[in-house]
Amino acid sequence: MSRSRWVVSLVVSSWLLLGGCASPDDPERPGPGEGNDGLTVYAVNYPLAYFGERIGGDGVEVVLPVPAGEDPAFWSPAPEQVEAFQHADLIVLNGAGYAKWVERVTLPTSKLVDTTGGVRDRLIGIESTVTHTHGPEGDHSHGETAFTTWLDPTLAVDQAWSIAFELSTRWPASVEGWQERIAEIEQDLSVLDASLQQVFSERRDEPLLGSHPVYQYLARRYALNLESVHFEPHEFPDDAAWAELEASLARHPARWMLWEGEPMAETRTRLEELGVTSVVFDPCGNRPDEGDLLSVMQSNVENVRRAFGSN
Amino acid sequence: MIQAFYLGWRYLAFHRFKTAILVTSITLIVFLPVGLRVLVNQSSQQLTSRAEATPLVIGAKGSPLELVLNTLYFRSEVPEPLDFAEVTALEATGLARAIPLYVRFRSRGWSIVGTTLDYFEFRRLRVVSGRQMTMLGECVLGSRVADDLAVGPGDHVVSSPESVFDLAGVYPLKMRVAGVLAHSDTADDDAIFVDLKTSWVIQGLGHGHQDLTRPEASSGVLRRDDTNVTANASVVQYTEITEDNADSFHFHGGLSRFPVTAVVVVPPDQKSSTILQGRYETVESLTQIVRPVTVMDELLETILTVQSFVVAGAVIVGLATLASASLVFLLSLRLRRREIETLFKIGGSRAAVGTVMVFEVIVVLLTSVVLAGGLTLLTREFGSAAIRAFMRM
Repeated sequence: MSRSRWVVSLVVSSWLLLGGCASPDDPERPGPGEGNDGLTVYAVNYPLAYFGERIGGDGVEVVLPVPAGEDPAFWSPAPEQVEAFQHADLIVLNGAGYAKWVERVTLPTSKLVDTTGGVRDRLIGIESTVTHTHGPEGDHSHGETAFTTWLDPTLAVDQAWSIAFELSTRWPASVEGWQERIAEIEQDLSVLDASLQQVFSERRDEPLLGSHPVYQYLARRYALNLESVHFEPHEFPDDAAWAELEASLARHPARWMLWEGEPMAETRTRLEELGVTSVVFDPCGNRPDEGDLLSVMQSNVENVRRAFGSN
Repeated sequence: MIQAFYLGWRYLAFHRFKTAILVTSITLIVFLPVGLRVLVNQSSQQLTSRAEATPLVIGAKGSPLELVLNTLYFRSEVPEPLDFAEVTALEATGLARAIPLYVRFRSRGWSIVGTTLDYFEFRRLRVVSGRQMTMLGECVLGSRVADDLAVGPGDHVVSSPESVFDLAGVYPLKMRVAGVLAHSDTADDDAIFVDLKTSWVIQGLGHGHQDLTRPEASSGVLRRDDTNVTANASVVQYTEITEDNADSFHFHGGLSRFPVTAVVVVPPDQKSSTILQGRYETVESLTQIVRPVTVMDELLETILTVQSFVVAGAVIVGLATLASASLVFLLSLRLRRREIETLFKIGGSRAAVGTVMVFEVIVVLLTSVVLAGGLTLLTREFGSAAIRAFMRM
């Protein structure tokens, strides 16, 4: 036996006398999944909740704790809401930097599902992010990826599949019949994709504006010539924003602007004076007041068709 | 016979000082090896049970003992770190649940353990006061830490700098106590648990500061162009994560390159365990996979060898003490010659006088054995706690 081993042994022997003794396991300690009758899945946005509800069927309760009217991408949960997430059976994340609050809370990693984890090569980086430098770490920035991934229906299919995979692998009995349901989702998204292809193909090379930089995946999927500004539907833009828009229109003469929600009447009028028609294309990040993801997307298609048809 | 016992008893009571010394010496010499064995057995049982409850541990190549002691008991030197990517790679194999640990920092002498919520489920740890940590910058305390620091939910603990001479080092992080764990009588009672990401913030890999793109941060800006803002040394970095500044906290670089000291690996079955061990036991691998129970068994073998020497020493001292005690009895016979002659003269038989002497010896020996037994029982119940309390004074 080596000398160092003897020394370690002596040290550990002393420590053994100090702290080693223990009582048997406490029978009151909770076990995993205790207290749950059915499965509870928490989602960070509505499209994921929608997919979870359809795939899970009656055996799964899907919770989207974001209050109505709030954008889930920028919402932050209170500690008690984080606790509710912790007690869920599965937590469905969008990935792609969506819902930054996920980085700042404690969630059980074994319950997390990153629905874009398998398609990272198809995510869109944001090039215009301002970086900053302090200390020896060099340049860095705080937001680098476009996150409204489900606006590309083919990505949405992948996200739905990753939920289906997790549910069916972990709890096959609870989601019996999931194969048919995911096939229906695929079919619905395929129809939506075809509708969007058809409606956007009419004006493929026309310049378009987005009121907010949330349409990157839509633009890529349908080859849209789209640039974005930072207009809020419920705020009238200030003079600087209008000046920026006019400068943008000079080099990118768009006749339509896609909006996340219905813009203010004054904004709509001012835009029309500039020759820009407002078109609501709701990304549907939060649960809609009426209908579901597909009906909202279908009405987006109709809005675009109507706007394109009237010009 | 009763008279002989009475005489013997009166003799012992009259020479109570000498009797007490004899009883104490014999008690201690009987108790020492037995008590030591009880303590070591209890401790090794606990060591083994925690090791047995931890199927596999992955760490950087180096001392397996150091890795296991750091991972299971949050003691010993800090092992070389692994990349967090190792955790995700392990999870991706589907062969086991991976629970990362980052045991490097301390707060007032207590280990800060960065981990995920899966650790609490794995060790069956329960929060008895307050709630589980939910936000970056929160912690939950082991019961002994909470008692020693006299803090509870809503209070704060501050991470200690790794070196007082590290003037350019990271700021200590003030962490809010979210809850206190139930007493488990394991190393978990002696730890401050934080989210893995919080431990990275303590290290300075993540931080929060003023938004440098906003006008109010202009005094902290050294240079600004279209795509980059360079801060000067006056930029305000936060040393506590609150509701107001939580949004400003961010990490530099990919999390996959961030460090962990070990990964507790929980395979669902023996087959997965064997496959995993095979994958890591290659020469070119920079990581090692160890079975804590094997490492602790090797250590215990060494400890038991050391213990045998201690017990042998105690037995030798015991024999010497018994020889001394015999000498004391023999010498006392010589000193009591006149007393014995008196007993004979007043009609005491040889047997009666012998009975008095033997009774005295038996009473001393029996008292010693009973006391040693009592001490052993007390050791079994309270020994480890008493020594721990004594050492913490």
